Amino acid sequence: MAHKSESTSPQTGVETSNEVQFEAPNQHIANDVSIAESTTETEQPGVADIEMFMHIAQQLESELCSIVVGQERVIRELLLALFAGGHVLLEGVPGLGKTLLVRTLSDALELKFARIQFTPDLMPADIVGTTIVTEQTDHQSAGSRRVFSFQPGPIFANIVLADEINRATPKTQSALLEGMQERTVSVGDATRPLPRPFFVLGTQNPLEMEGTYPLPEAQLDRFLLKVLVRFPNAKDLMQIIDTTVGLQTLQAKQVASGEQLMHLIKTARAVPVATHVKEYAVRLLLATHPDQEDAPDPVRKYVRYGASPRGLQALIMTSKVRALLEGRYNVSLEDLQNVVFPSLRHRIILNFDGLADGVTSEDLIETIVEETLTS
Amino acid sequence: MMIANAPSRNSTFELEENEGERFIETLYPWRRRLWIQQILRWTEYGIIISMICACFLLLISRFIPWSTAPYWAIGIAIGVLLFAVGVALWYRPSFERSARYIDTQLALHDRVSTAWEMRDDSAPISVLQRRDALQQLRKHAPAVTISLRPGRVRLLLFGIATIAIAVLILVPNPMNTFLQQQAALQARLNRQLAAINQTRLVIDNQAAISPQERALIDKILRDALARLQQSSSQEQAQQSLAQAQSQLNQLRDPQASQKAQARANASSSLQNSSNASISNTGKALASGDSKALNSSLQNLASQIAKMTPAQRAQLAQQIERAANQGQNNSQLSSALHQLAKAVADGNPSEVSDASKALETAASQDSANTASNDSINQASQSLQNAANALASTTDSNGNGQNASQTQVTGQGQNPGQTNVPGQGQSIGGQSEQNNTNNNSGKNEQVFVPGQVGSGSSNISVDGNTGTVQTGNSVPYSQVIAQYSQTAHDAIQDSNIPPDLKNLIQDYFNSLEGRH
Repeated sequence: MAHKSESTSPQTGVETSNEVQFEAPNQHIANDVSIAESTTETEQPGVADIEMFMHIAQQLESELCSIVVGQERVIRELLLALFAGGHVLLEGVPGLGKTLLVRTLSDALELKFARIQFTPDLMPADIVGTTIVTEQTDHQSAGSRRVFSFQPGPIFANIVLADEINRATPKTQSALLEGMQERTVSVGDATRPLPRPFFVLGTQNPLEMEGTYPLPEAQLDRFLLKVLVRFPNAKDLMQIIDTTVGLQTLQAKQVASGEQLMHLIKTARAVPVATHVKEYAVRLLLATHPDQEDAPDPVRKYVRYGASPRGLQALIMTSKVRALLEGRYNVSLEDLQNVVFPSLRHRIILNFDGLADGVTSEDLIETIVEETLTS
Repeated sequence: MMIANAPSRNSTFELEENEGERFIETLYPWRRRLWIQQILRWTEYGIIISMICACFLLLISRFIPWSTAPYWAIGIAIGVLLFAVGVALWYRPSFERSARYIDTQLALHDRVSTAWEMRDDSAPISVLQRRDALQQLRKHAPAVTISLRPGRVRLLLFGIATIAIAVLILVPNPMNTFLQQQAALQARLNRQLAAINQTRLVIDNQAAISPQERALIDKILRDALARLQQSSSQEQAQQSLAQAQSQLNQLRDPQASQKAQARANASSSLQNSSNASISNTGKALASGDSKALNSSLQNLASQIAKMTPAQRAQLAQQIERAANQGQNNSQLSSALHQLAKAVADGNPSEVSDASKALETAASQDSANTASNDSINQASQSLQNAANALASTTDSNGNGQNASQTQVTGQGQNPGQTNVPGQGQSIGGQSEQNNTNNNSGKNEQVFVPGQVGSGSSNISVDGNTGTVQTGNSVPYSQVIAQYSQTAHDAIQDSNIPPDLKNLIQDYFNSLEGRH
């Protein structure tokens, strides 16, 4: 396990020292000021917030594109998930810059970054942390005493790169489940919140399937988007040569803090969505289900399970972000059609016929988009 | 793929009053233009569909006889057009639909429709969105964006429909001829129905016929009228008429002609007597005058007592001879025999009884004759109807529904169309009650039931004619018609009574020969 732990961020709320005894289980949850989980109506973002969003998003995209060459689409989809507050599963062959992309993102956002290399012998405690016994000096008795203290794992970071996530056992993979969905980690009888923002980027290699453990559907569903990292073209490869093997080393500028990122996420949520756009999103989602009346024939034939309601949330949230990135204040049908592939491709579970016939979820989504009426 | 330029970001953001209303006001001209476009488009489609419907109906009328097809085509075309225009006027585009349309037409990425939905939302981002939508909308003009010109597809469809309907109107419909024939047939049927009905009424008013016979004849004629009304072709009409004639023939007394002949012979023999009373009795029998018969018989009874036996024997002999002459009429002959015997005996009471028997026989004979005449009249009416139907069809130039015999008239039968021995009305003038004069004219003679290929010449009392091809008519029908015609001809009053038997024997011999 390669694990980089930088200085403790004040936002994490997690003690990394070994001074703390048992913490109250729900203490951090009570102190959480999460916007996403707030049930009360929050303040509407103003013009300045929107302007800030557009400014930061533009800068961030520029920074990423300047360093990670030839992956503009991946960068765009990564930003969609980032500003939507979701996690991303990156799939691509080694060497395409997945790790570089994530590291550059953390550099540009001034966030704590942790990289976990998933291997078959990786244990859940290696991810979430563990409770250890430490010796502590007792000032009153001038002696020492042994206390239990929690040693946080690499998941206690803002951006977590779960590299080759499918190489770990399902037990270890599931260690991410709670953190990805609830933004908390439960160890023993204590539940600790994860730092905000919390962003998991999982990668997996589609080629080396031997000795891997495909992610279970529940795990897959927790990734907001599944982004396919394609091989760059010749022009981009030429640029990669110029930027990576020369004397000059590019370093991303910091364009936003974690707090600003949280604000941007809140801003994106305020983008209005018209009813007919929502209805179209619902139709798209329902069309992935083989038992639905409006499902296309290929879906009926090749799909075992369709996308969950999380898929609908992913569609709408990423569409909102895309609208702002496109300079609009509203979600359009085109936004939905643009984000439907990364949002739903990992949520459509093929049946045996589909796998045997070599059908991909992309093919099915393409059919769904073609056959689903926009009005 | 860089972030697109953000829309106008004014440095100051203030929520203006009635922004939502201003947005609606901006949408008004768009919606109006869209409505006009909708009306025009629906009207164009209405015209095209109405023309297609009209074409369809006109096309159907070329395969199925449908006289009112053009009116239906016009009616449906107008109806479809009015419906289309009505729908377009009724369903005015809503603001929401207009907004969606504008978004699609101008590729505004649902800006306008979202702004319409959020028109009352005062959240800053909604206000920004609304202003952005308005700004984008103001870059376009409704008159430019929403075109009122008809599309190429509609123009093409209109052209095709126009050509099709023009062809269907200009090219003659083959069904029109058939429809005209049907109409003509119906008109002829109506005329014949009226004529037959008139005959029926006449027969109903004849007191000389017994009520039972009158009812029977009436029923046959009414059935014939009903069947004629339901006839859809001339063949059916002819068959109906032939059937009715056949039924009338069954009512006929087969001995009627012989009885009439016997009566005529007897009366003729009595008229030749030197005794005035007997001669008057003969005249009364011949004329069917019951009062005169009664009076002459009373005179005879009063004279009997004054006559000598020799005179009575001579008188009885004359009466006996008359009885023998009328032996074919058994009742009359018996009564005359009884009278002859009573006269010979000189018994007044026997003479009185014999006179009553003779009066009864004469009365019965008159009733039979009247009934027969009514049947003849009804049969003749039906025959006239059949001839009229056949002749009119032929005069229409079809020449397919009846055999036609063209006779070159030689003026030998002026004023008379019933020619003895021809078995059919000659001259085809039945509709005019056989009053036409065929002298010096070409007349058409129809002989139902004769089928011929090519032509043949027949002789009609010195006239020659040509039989043309016609439809098949059942042999029994032809025989019945000929038999009836022959009977009627023989019963004609212009034929001397003594020749009637001769003619009857001649036809009987012909019948026996075949």
